[in-house]
Amino acid sequence: MSYSVSRALVDAFYKAYATREADKVAPYIHDDVEWTISGPVDFLPFCGTHRGKANVLDLIEHQVKAVLRTFSFVPDEVVVDGDQVAMLSRQSAKRTKDGCTVSYRVANIMRFCDDKVIENLSLIDSFDAVEQVLGQQLTLPCDARPDDGALVTV
Amino acid sequence: MVGMNSMAKPVPRSVVEGFYKALASSDFAALDPYLAEQVTWTISGPVDILPFCGKRSGKAVVLKLLDRDIPAFLEKRRLVPSVMLVDGDRAAVFGRLTASRGDIGRKISYRIAQFVRFENERVVEYTSIIDSFDAVEQVLGQQLTLPGGTRAANPELVAI
Repeated sequence: MSYSVSRALVDAFYKAYATREADKVAPYIHDDVEWTISGPVDFLPFCGTHRGKANVLDLIEHQVKAVLRTFSFVPDEVVVDGDQVAMLSRQSAKRTKDGCTVSYRVANIMRFCDDKVIENLSLIDSFDAVEQVLGQQLTLPCDARPDDGALVTV
Repeated sequence: MVGMNSMAKPVPRSVVEGFYKALASSDFAALDPYLAEQVTWTISGPVDILPFCGKRSGKAVVLKLLDRDIPAFLEKRRLVPSVMLVDGDRAAVFGRLTASRGDIGRKISYRIAQFVRFENERVVEYTSIIDSFDAVEQVLGQQLTLPGGTRAANPELVAI
């Protein structure tokens, strides 16, 4: 019979992950985990693929915190199917360099093995995230961004 | 618990697969019966650069978005799902969207995550997250920079 992750385990993992504290997240991370955050690593240095439990815990505990201090990670959707879980969340954080608040949506697809995360892919609204993290608008071709205050990012 | 409504009627996997078959192949006649009249359709991203982003409400508006507005901006659009999850009245799909911009002869491809809620086997809520930085760079055909033209903190690193 194939493995299925329980919703209770997923909820427990999510609460631990929301703390961004390595000692609380560690019990849920597989030794052979592969953890990918999709985005431009030259603007958001924590993006990219990180392999192995130690590297992923370092990512959570140190690399992300060097840029952002997450204080809220609220799930809007949690979809559990077999050994896989999809989450849609709103992440709010303070920029480490100046304490300004940023907020953007995150989608995670995770695969569990033996009640531990062995694979994660995080998708973020990366254009929005980069502009918020940098605290300034990116430079675009002169005709690419209309000067229209009525338009907003969702 | 988030994402689980014990009172909601579960959607059969066959319905989710039918919806995605129609959506992925841009078969809007087949897609029509899967959409509720009051469907909301949200694509996260910068609407001033990617005009198909934003929130739409109502079946007619959503079908116009899919059938006319998006194809006017991106041609030969195709969704290639890699993972499909079904749980109660909800589904989630991760994959890659490929398209071309005919006016400049450029093909683009970016990651996408979609979360869908069904009622009575029809879509009432659709939310997608795209790797919007990657999408914008591909659509514009150039790297984005900071004011002053700076970009890479570490030129040995590459986007994924």
